Parts: sequence; structure tokens; C-alpha cells
Amino acid sequence: MADLAASEPSELTALPPRKQTSVVRRIIRSRNLYLVLLPALTLLLVFDWYPAASALYNSFYAWNGGKLHKFIGLENYAYMLQDRAFTTSLRNLVFFVGFRVIFQTVFPFIAAELIVNLKNANWAYRWKLIFVIPMVVPYLVMVLIWRFIYSPQMGLLNQILELVGLQSWTHAWLSDPAFAMWAIGFVRFPWLPTLQFLILLGGLQSIPPEVLESSQIDGAGLLRRIRHIDIPMIMGQIKLVVILTAIFMTQRFDLFLVLTDGGPGYATMVPALHLYHSAFNFLEFGYASAIGVVLFIIMLTLTVINLRYVQTEEGV
Amino acid sequence: MATRPVRPRRFPLLRHDWPFEFGLILFGVITFYPLLFIISTSLKSNTQFYQSFWGPTFPFHFSNYNVAFDRIFRSILNSVVYSSLTIIVVAALASASGFVFARFKFPGKQALFYLFISLMMVPGVLTLAPRFVLVRSLHLLNQPLVLIVPWASSGIVLATWLMRSYFESLPQELFDAAHVDGASDVAVFRLIAVPLARPMIATIAITSLINTWNDLIWPLVTISNREWMPLAQALIQFSSSFETDWGPLFAGYVLASIPLLIVFTFALRQFVSGLTAGALKA
Repeated sequence: MADLAASEPSELTALPPRKQTSVVRRIIRSRNLYLVLLPALTLLLVFDWYPAASALYNSFYAWNGGKLHKFIGLENYAYMLQDRAFTTSLRNLVFFVGFRVIFQTVFPFIAAELIVNLKNANWAYRWKLIFVIPMVVPYLVMVLIWRFIYSPQMGLLNQILELVGLQSWTHAWLSDPAFAMWAIGFVRFPWLPTLQFLILLGGLQSIPPEVLESSQIDGAGLLRRIRHIDIPMIMGQIKLVVILTAIFMTQRFDLFLVLTDGGPGYATMVPALHLYHSAFNFLEFGYASAIGVVLFIIMLTLTVINLRYVQTEEGV
Repeated sequence: MATRPVRPRRFPLLRHDWPFEFGLILFGVITFYPLLFIISTSLKSNTQFYQSFWGPTFPFHFSNYNVAFDRIFRSILNSVVYSSLTIIVVAALASASGFVFARFKFPGKQALFYLFISLMMVPGVLTLAPRFVLVRSLHLLNQPLVLIVPWASSGIVLATWLMRSYFESLPQELFDAAHVDGASDVAVFRLIAVPLARPMIATIAITSLINTWNDLIWPLVTISNREWMPLAQALIQFSSSFETDWGPLFAGYVLASIPLLIVFTFALRQFVSGLTAGALKA
């Protein structure tokens, strides 16, 4: 087969005056390169760019996904403000994301601290792998296991409460509006969030020994070392974990769909689930698109914060 | 990428490991308790379950596994096929595109590359509804392709980016030497670049595997024919038809976890790096 492109050596010797023709000629000469990119590019244009553009465009339309297609300007967006399901869902989202961010940072951090302070390197490595193992359980099975844990009669949580004599604390966790959101917040609880755990552990491992040595010479105890050395030194990773968790949790709705479907009432409704309901239960594809755009803007903001302030300091 | 063994700290504060080990064991117990509970219950009949909730009971009812197996085996097979095909498409297209972006200069390269990577910022929830309308108008609903093609398309974005970074990190001399020996670009790609990139391809494969294996929403809106359901979707149906039939229900959960357990056992390092790489896409 011939070379894909012969353009590379000519880069330095190309003469400036004939630029116009040379671009065309370079394009023709690189045609095989474009051919290689074509399949991937086609897929992306059809299955990613087109739907994304369509969502943006149709957020200004009343659209049932089929024939009904009418321009209504900003009405979809205006309707969101008075749609109680949506406003409630935003409040729930803030709670859920805030809650998840806190405990999906704190617990992996504690576990990582315990591991990184082990002197026995083999065991440290084994412990790291042990905490990755729950990842083999399919996400949905994990959600279903927690549905069982929360189930009112035979659920593990209520059974444990009864075992230790706290019958009065038992609840129908997922169908009680006062507890449903908390219950979903705690789904997967003792299992460490794998990604966050690996990032924080990686950060702690990369603290240079000299820093630890000098802190020890200065007589810093364990807690002071964690507070004044470990946490400041891995601030980059901590921020990354916070942002990533927030981005993931903003679009995650399969666990809400399976556990409560947004109920009771709107107690556990989140925007992404409301989008799903609007599109697939009520055929309001225009309104669903508008919710999608709002979520996109939220996540874009988080991503920009991530790129600007987080990943520049510390790569993954 | 987070795969090296854990280096011990050279200046440990405590003389012994046991306080840390104690904490870790505590963590480990509460992590694995639910799993052990599921496994022990998967071997019980309902009478055994209601009589003795906590511990394992004898005799074991392995027949629960037969019941569950009959119900979900087809969907496990479906998922294996869907994920494998997706991985092949993603790996092939992403390594070719990544190679082109990393090692060649051509007009419009930057623009085309941005066409790829700016999709990293486009979340799945935004495209969900219009994508559904699209595949419906393409008459793809209820066929395996409706899962594989969009999954591959989503996977290519991050994979191309990873492959490009990897190919860029290879020394130019390597490629120069091959060219001097008369190798064409295609030969360089096939015989040098791809074999060297095997660890990165493995990472990409695992990332795609986990993403496709765990996707519930897209199958839920595009597949209604039980025959073609992937595992996650079939489990929803399975769990509602065995609602209080605890033994078979939990046996199904255990069976559903075995495929990834096998991958995890045989590809530890790639599994860990694949998990970490997944962080890069929103």
C-alpha cells in the first residue's frame, strides 16, 4: 500500500506565495488520511452531533417526536419555572449531588489514608484491589441489592435495626417522603466509589517522602500530618474527585428510575428523570430537550471549572 | 495510571500496622457483608429464608441457580456479544483515528480533532431523546444494532483521545527507522504502533466494557423484545417476576456478576486503569 500522506517533509520547504494552491494540493495529497477518519467521523456526526444539535434546536419547539412540530420560542424554558416537578427536581438534585460529593470524597479518603500508611506493601496492594472488587457487580444489580436492603419487611436495614432492638426506627425507607431522598443518597454506601478511591490513593502515594520525613522530624502526629500535609498536598485530586462526582451525579438517574421512579409524589424526582418521563411517558420531546439543555449548561459549567481550576494543577 | 503497586511510606508514624489494618478490616467487613448475605441467601429456599434470616442454612438449594440461569442466560450472552462488538469497533476506529491525529499533519487537523473531543462535554442526557427519534426513523428499534452503533459512537470520543496521546508519546525515531527500512504508513501502524499500544487498547476495552455492561437507560427505550435484551434490562424484568422468590432472585444477581468477575481476575491491571480512564469523559 502507498503512503497515507507524503505531506510531512514538504512542510519546511513549502514556499509562502503559492499558499492558496498548496492547501488544496495538501488536501488532495492527504486524502487517504481523511478516508481513515471518515468512519469514526460519520458515526460521531450522525449519532452524537446531530442529536445534540437536534436537542438544542427542538428545545424551542413543541414536539411530540413525530408530526407535531411547532415553534414556541422560549416557552419550554418558561414552563420549567412553573413546573413543580422540575423545580422540586432541581432542589433534590442539589441535595443529592451535595450529599454524594461529601461522602464519596470523605470515605475513600479515609480508606486511602489507612492503606497508604501500611508498612507492608503487599498488604497495601491487596487492600487496594479488595476495595475495587465490588465493581464487578453490575451497576443495576448493586441498585437492586440496595432496593432489597431498604425493603420494608425483609430488608436488611430494617432487620438489623430489629436485631439491635430499634424497632421504632424501622421505616419503609423508599416510600416514605421524609426518608426516600436520604435512602437514595446512601445507596452503595459502604462500598467505596472506586474511581474516587483510586484517584485519592494515587495522590497520597505520590507525596514525596522528604516531606513526610521533615514533618516527622518536626514532631507532627498522625492527625496533624493528615491535616497539614496530606490534605493540602492532594488538594488537586480532592477537587478533581469533587467535580467528577458532581458531573456524574447530575446526569445519573437510572437508580432513581429503578428505586422510586421519582416518588412518592415528587420526593425523589431529579431533572434527568423528569426529562426521561417527559420524553418517553408524555411524548413531550421539545420540553425534554429543553431540560437536557439546562442540564448540559450545568455540566458544562462544572466541566469548565474542572478544566480551568482543577485539571491544570493535577492530571489524573 | 494508578496501576503501580502501593509504595510503603518511608516514614511511618506508628510502629505497627495493626491500627490501620483494624480500620481496613472494619471497612472490608461492611463492604462485603451485603455480598456474602446475597450469596448465602441465593442458596436458600423461601422457608429457610424466613426461618433463618442471618446465617447460611443447609441443605444448599443449588436448584435456585438453575432457575435463575434459565431466565437470564440469554441476556448475559446478548450482553457479551454487544459489548464485544462495541469494543472491537471502538478499538479499531479509535486506534486508526488516534494514529492519524498523532503522527500526521494535514489541513483541518485541529478542527477535525475538536469535532471529536468537544463531544466529551456533551452528556448522554442531552442526546437521549433526539437519538431515540433518530434511531426510530432509521428503523433500528428492537435490533442489536440499535445498541452497538450508538454505544460505539459514544465510546470512540474518549478512546480516540487516549490513543492519540499514547501515539504522540512514542518517540519519532521509532517511526523514522521503520520508514528508512521501507515500511509504509499502514505497515508502521499495523506492525509497530498497534502492538506497542496494546496496554492502552486494553484500558479502552475495559472502559467500553464497563460502560456498555452497565447501561440500562438506552436499552430500556430502544429494545422491547425480550430476546434481544441486554443483561441490565433483563434483570429489571427478572427482579419483578421473582419479587419475593429470594433464592432464585439472588442467584440471578450472583450469576450476573460472574462475567465481570472473570475479566477482573484475568486482567487486574487493565481493569484498574480502565476504571481510571473512564473519569475523563463526563
